[in-house]
Amino acid sequence: MIVPGMIPRRALLRRLGIGSAVLPFLGNLPSLAASAPAARQRLVVVFSPDGVVKKNFWPSEPGSFADRDLPPILGPFAPFKDRLLTLKGIDNNVLGDGDGHMRGMGCLLTGIELFPGNIQGGSDTPAGWASGISIDQEIRNHLQAFPATETRFGSLEFGVLVPHKADTWTRMVYAGPNKPVAPIDDPYQMFAKLYGSMKDRESVRSVLDEVREDLARITATLPAEDRRILEEHATLVRSLERNLADQRAAVAHPVPVLEQGVVEQNDQMPRISRIQIELLVSALAADFTRIATLQYTNSVGQPHMKWLGVDEGQHELSHEPNSNAAAQEKPTKINTWYAEEIAHLAKRLADTPEPGGDGSLLDHTTILWTNELGEGNSHSRDDIPWVLIGGGLGFATGRAVEFPGVPHNRFLLALAHAMGHTGLVRFGNPDHCGEGPLTGLA
Amino acid sequence: MPTPHRILIAFSVLAAVVVGGSGFGPAAEDPATEHPATEHPGAAIYREHCVRCHGPGGLGTANHPDPLVGDRSISQLAASIDETMPEEDPTLVTGEAARQVADYIHRSFYSAVARDRHRPARVELSRLTVRQHRHTLADIVGSFRDEPPAADAARGLTGEYFKTGRFDRNKGLVFERIDPTVAFDFGTSGPEEGRFEPTRFAIRWTGGIVPTETGVHEFVIRTEHAAKLSLNGGRKEPAVIDAVVKSGTDTDYRGSVFLLGGRHYPLVLEFWKANQGVDKHDAPSATPPTPASIRLLWKPPHGVVETVPARVLLPREPPRVFVLATPFPPDDRSIGYDRGTSVSPEWFEATTAAAIETADHVLRHVDRLAGVGRDAADREARLRSFAATFAERAFRQPLSDDLQALVVDRAFADAPDLDTALRRSLLAVLASPRFLFRESGDNDAFATAARLSFGLWDSIPDGPLWEAAARGDLATAEQVRGQAERMVQDRRTRAKVRDFLFSWLRVDLGPELATDSAHHPEFTPEVAADLRTSLELFLDDAVWTNGDFRNLFTADELPINGRLAPLYGATLPAEADFTRVRLDDGRRGGLLSHPYLMSVLSYPASTSPIHRGVFLARSVLGNTLRPPQEAIAPVPPEQQPDLTTRERVALQTSAFACQTCHTMINPLGFALEEFDEIGRYRTAEPVADGPRAIDASGSYRPREGPPATFHGGRELGAYVAGSRDAQEAFVQAVFHALVKQPVRAWGGDTLEGLRRSFAASGFEIRRLLVDIMVVAAMPPRHDVASLPAPERSP
Repeated sequence: MIVPGMIPRRALLRRLGIGSAVLPFLGNLPSLAASAPAARQRLVVVFSPDGVVKKNFWPSEPGSFADRDLPPILGPFAPFKDRLLTLKGIDNNVLGDGDGHMRGMGCLLTGIELFPGNIQGGSDTPAGWASGISIDQEIRNHLQAFPATETRFGSLEFGVLVPHKADTWTRMVYAGPNKPVAPIDDPYQMFAKLYGSMKDRESVRSVLDEVREDLARITATLPAEDRRILEEHATLVRSLERNLADQRAAVAHPVPVLEQGVVEQNDQMPRISRIQIELLVSALAADFTRIATLQYTNSVGQPHMKWLGVDEGQHELSHEPNSNAAAQEKPTKINTWYAEEIAHLAKRLADTPEPGGDGSLLDHTTILWTNELGEGNSHSRDDIPWVLIGGGLGFATGRAVEFPGVPHNRFLLALAHAMGHTGLVRFGNPDHCGEGPLTGLA
Repeated sequence: MPTPHRILIAFSVLAAVVVGGSGFGPAAEDPATEHPATEHPGAAIYREHCVRCHGPGGLGTANHPDPLVGDRSISQLAASIDETMPEEDPTLVTGEAARQVADYIHRSFYSAVARDRHRPARVELSRLTVRQHRHTLADIVGSFRDEPPAADAARGLTGEYFKTGRFDRNKGLVFERIDPTVAFDFGTSGPEEGRFEPTRFAIRWTGGIVPTETGVHEFVIRTEHAAKLSLNGGRKEPAVIDAVVKSGTDTDYRGSVFLLGGRHYPLVLEFWKANQGVDKHDAPSATPPTPASIRLLWKPPHGVVETVPARVLLPREPPRVFVLATPFPPDDRSIGYDRGTSVSPEWFEATTAAAIETADHVLRHVDRLAGVGRDAADREARLRSFAATFAERAFRQPLSDDLQALVVDRAFADAPDLDTALRRSLLAVLASPRFLFRESGDNDAFATAARLSFGLWDSIPDGPLWEAAARGDLATAEQVRGQAERMVQDRRTRAKVRDFLFSWLRVDLGPELATDSAHHPEFTPEVAADLRTSLELFLDDAVWTNGDFRNLFTADELPINGRLAPLYGATLPAEADFTRVRLDDGRRGGLLSHPYLMSVLSYPASTSPIHRGVFLARSVLGNTLRPPQEAIAPVPPEQQPDLTTRERVALQTSAFACQTCHTMINPLGFALEEFDEIGRYRTAEPVADGPRAIDASGSYRPREGPPATFHGGRELGAYVAGSRDAQEAFVQAVFHALVKQPVRAWGGDTLEGLRRSFAASGFEIRRLLVDIMVVAAMPPRHDVASLPAPERSP
């Protein structure tokens, strides 16, 4: 049942972190980790739209990156060459209703057809939502089923300038058939989700002095018979105050400080991106989640990256033919900008020590950068971009690999297996699962 | 056919419910107004053997000055009396007599509970009840929004019909009209032949909805196409139902929302028979147009899934209402009405969560509520002023400088930013005892105003009432009466009175009706829900249209719809909405024989004259009944197949111990025997050897005056309508429901005075509400002189 604004029964406990409900919450805080946890694994899927410029994106041949330069779009990953893995040749083969952008988005992480529906694309038949769960949610549900890997949120869905319109082009994550999950692209909303209860605690604590003072004043003016109920009330206030003070001492978690007043506008995209990355890194550090997605705009996304000197919208630029070499320059710039943001995320993870473990967060996290199309102008869903950075999945990195003609369902299966969900035999449309999880990654 | 075993279980459960739930217990007794059916058998023994030394009421005498009070149990007392009392000859009171006198002493004055009952009634400092908490917060926040449009007679939603896939009134609007309900099947053509393309049109319905029940309401949109329902939320907030993207073959879309009964909520329902995204409408299509239909249904609490009826829909859109969703523990109802005379950790937690939820809502909408832009130069000043007004409304008192400093200035002085400052101020206000407790401030004109508004609305004073208090125009009874007469017209009074009546009839929590009974397959959940609606409409009409208390018991017309008609002997078209019908040749006694109550007060396969009699004796006629001396599982009809229900009940309760109360209960319940277990009129009851004529003769011995006899529902209703006992019971029940303090606190003769003026007014219920508030707005004050001098905190 969905009741807007409804606070569940134990809301106060949860929101204020009082009583037994506080234990799982505190348990997630690194400062209180009682025993060394099993090595954590994290997966962060980053989406950017409209395909890539293939010649500027893919390494010219498979093999180690050690003794060569990266292609222009991947240039920002130079500091992370040894942790970089590119996978070429993995295709999204899902057919059915919906145009290329819709299927590119809706089937990207689900590997299964869209339902028929009322969303009409530029071609093909109209379609609705995906008919299955997405791999991030599948892994999330698996992790949440075990106390050792259960986290406060299970997964977090970040967005950057996702249009406020729920349709097949704007939703990549699915909790199940017909159950799209909306990314949160307002950093303040995400902050409230992550730290709202702490803020509530702080706010309540801050007014209790006034409440006690006022109670004393009123009590003094009342006849003795009426004082009893106010004295009982005062006892309740005092015990809340004690509880909150205890919590405050225990929950010494660094809450990120947000730049205020950033509004959701095209020109603010770089600032929003950086705030979301900060929140993502701190959520991972606090072990609020081990699965996250970060979705830049949407399938057919139209950001105007004026800060790069690109005034046109990204989607319209992506339609320029390969033969127009000059026109490929702008999409290359745009995609390089996304790479810079992801490299920044990688750097922030690399700079953050793994709480209670060895190395950095990046050693235990894999960033997976992908796209709804392999190429913008042809709307091809062959050679979907899959760029991995970091050590979360235990794949062999520092190299480019090619798997010509492999359906992407097999790669999605490999992600699940690498995250410990080894019981998953098929995912999405079984016809695309071939011989099971893609091998040759580790 | 249920097995006898199953029936036995049902019987004992019901018996337990009656004992525990309908106020038989000692806690429900109210000595000043109790009218025991007969004297306690121990009282006579006490008079004969004990009073000489212990004095009347155990107060003691010159030779035995110690009052007879203590903490021994009844059996301990009995043992002691058996052995030792009376002192001159302990053999005089022994065994059963000792037990009876011990029981009498204990219940009357010996135990702590009994002593507590004898304390003089007073107005107690009380916290807000849950209902008051929710309505108060709705009105505080709502006071910063527009007033809802005045409700006129128009019902239904405003429908705008577009020939395009978007709601562009300039380009696509074909027509606008008021639709009583949303239940359309457009086939493959469209809303109107020739004016719409069959493959593309859109409709938007806007207006308001006024539910009567409080609780979670489930809504259902049933359509083959795309639709969206927004209810009491802004356009940017998640819709209750979002099926804008048509996906797959589902046709039912569900969503739930918690609503407070009696308030107006904005509602927008959008429907599209059109693809979204890229416009390919003009491209030739090989597929023929598909059918289109849409229906808006709901399942209110205690109801069934049905088309949202026109009577709850309004064509104009009101402003949104802040509905507190935080769950609260239920209030104490042990003495018959909700009251807030105790606090608990659960309640305290709920109030804190409620404060946070309210502050969240206000902060989300602060620009509009405070009427100030994000970048306004005077934003701080405006927010401070907003916070002060909020505090004043929450405290129901003008804000003194001291208080302003405490709950507003401090927050703004310390906080890092304005939003945090406002949040702290709101939390300080909502956690303050001045908000949470009533009667905690000075006894001035504003206190009078708050008593009026809480009495009639369970909420804060509105603008005109506040201004009257500020002008000093609440000093005289006439001025208070003027305000009460204005306020009684408000929809909030209607909602409160509706909730009172349902609670008075003990159906507010939605009794489980045995609608799955094999005995009455025709008594479906839909019929049960319709009967509840019928009762609702009957009461609304009786109070607000007819207005005469006596009519509650004498009306022979009931609201009946097409579904109920065949069951209750009326002739109506199957689809007919509720309309007043005179049933059974006028043999009904208004409320008392309403089929909903008759069904609630029955077993699945037979009536229950005991339940009906207890309801009449207690709720309607105001008698105190003690619980049965031992739990008795009534004998199921199968074991005595030759007896009528009346005969069976008479037999079962014939024991001397039962007769104390059942001489009152049974003859009242028997008068309703002509209405069967689903409330149909009957002249005969089937028993093993064939149908037996119904004996609906009954009687009642009032507290004063001669005993009365009557026969059947109509005569019973006529008797109750003229009964002083019933009038007094009703006045007291209304007083307690409105004021939530014992009427005795206003003096022993207040109740009778109110009853007399009620009678003098021709038993006008509206007048009674006003009279009660005129009395209760001026409270009896505590004896301040006897108190220690108040210690002011430094």
